[in-house]
Amino acid sequence: MDVFVARSGGLAGIRLTWHVKVDDQPDADDWFVLIEEIPWDDVPAAPAEPDRFTWDIRCEPAEARHPAAGTTDPTAAEPNPAGPKGAEPKATEATLAERQLTGPWRQLVDRVRETTEPQREAPRAPRSR
Amino acid sequence: MPTIVPPYLLDRIAETAGTRYPLAAEAARRALLREPPARLGPSSPGLPLTDAYGLPSALPDAPSTPDRRISDAQGTERLPGRLVRREGERATGDEAVDDAYDGLGDTHRMFDRVFGRDSIDGLGMPLEATVHFGDNYDNAFWDGERMVFGDGDGEIFRGFTDSLSVIGHELSHGITEHTAKLRYQGQSGALNEHVSDAFGALVEQYALGQDAEAATWLIGEGIFTAEVQGRALRSMLEPGTAYDDDVLGRDPQPGHMRDYIETVEDNGGVHLNSGIPNRAFALAARRLGGFAWEHVGRIWFDTLTSGELGEDATFAQFADETVRQAERRFGAQSREAEAVRDGWQQVGVLAEAGQG
Repeated sequence: MDVFVARSGGLAGIRLTWHVKVDDQPDADDWFVLIEEIPWDDVPAAPAEPDRFTWDIRCEPAEARHPAAGTTDPTAAEPNPAGPKGAEPKATEATLAERQLTGPWRQLVDRVRETTEPQREAPRAPRSR
Repeated sequence: MPTIVPPYLLDRIAETAGTRYPLAAEAARRALLREPPARLGPSSPGLPLTDAYGLPSALPDAPSTPDRRISDAQGTERLPGRLVRREGERATGDEAVDDAYDGLGDTHRMFDRVFGRDSIDGLGMPLEATVHFGDNYDNAFWDGERMVFGDGDGEIFRGFTDSLSVIGHELSHGITEHTAKLRYQGQSGALNEHVSDAFGALVEQYALGQDAEAATWLIGEGIFTAEVQGRALRSMLEPGTAYDDDVLGRDPQPGHMRDYIETVEDNGGVHLNSGIPNRAFALAARRLGGFAWEHVGRIWFDTLTSGELGEDATFAQFADETVRQAERRFGAQSREAEAVRDGWQQVGVLAEAGQG
């Protein structure tokens, strides 16, 4: 299982991303328990808060199951129901306003930030010329 | 009225003493503004006591009457935090608290003295801010009721109350919310951001007595640490040039419609695409010269409060409305209307119909 977190927006409009390979963590089981608690389909509506951060959280089956991929390309991490571990959760993703980042969402993001350093990246889409 | 301190020194104090010696800077600014207008530079058109419509003069030499309340979140993310300074109370010695207090005063004064708007709602509502929000929190935002300022991480960002344009930016979000209500998504969201940058810049120019030529047109000057290769968060005049740093990368803002960024993040790139209207505004202001709050500022304020703008306004709709408001206030053939139209054409929002 891989966890990707992206923080965008904010007054400065600077994007940060974090990536944790849960399988490599000494406390991987704790991570799985926490991820299991995330209410992916139950993101409550929130009022717009200008300049506040937006958080994008994505969990995917581990890249290790696709050794040829070797990238963070999300299309390389399609769930593989025919695989030996067919019960593994499929990719899930949610976008939250910072105000919504509470409970297990917040715990997961805090844990990710404690575990790894952020990367700074350009906005996801390239400029159109 | 003669002054004892030479004008060049007043200039320097007014421009550089702002956050550390607010009283000295304020005194210098007032002294400067009592000087004949020629002193403020060859591009200044002069300082009328009232404009053609009988509005009060834009001289910032009489205080407005804000009702400020500054709270301290003490490193937590709980709002509002503990109330630490109310209107009229003396400085606390906490730099973030006192900078926020002074910045809100400067912002209130410009909206009140120049545009006749008393506070965010026009009815004198309290200006509330919380400082020391979060742990190394790298942001400032408007939560619908108050301005919230983090202290920064100390490595890339210093505290967010260090920049008057940032304080003006946040308070302007409140004004937009009470007027045009531009929806915070896509083009209308980028316009919401642009309006905050525009008035944030004007607050700073007004407080410093700067004309359009002298102004930096930077947003958030002074909030990066010395480690960062960059002048500010954004450049209104030259979007994409505010910083270029090993860690932060290059300022990604576009300055023309052909470079408009389509993205799902940041509410559809509201902090990126705002560069396009920002440049149109700064170009129009520089073409007109003089004090920007007296021409483009009034036109943009009229646009926000006209009731003609949809909450989902596109760049083109907003541009058309600014041209209409410029023609209404200054005349159809006025140089103000011409400069505004030309600004939007240069960034590719309005077509260059006929002759620009």
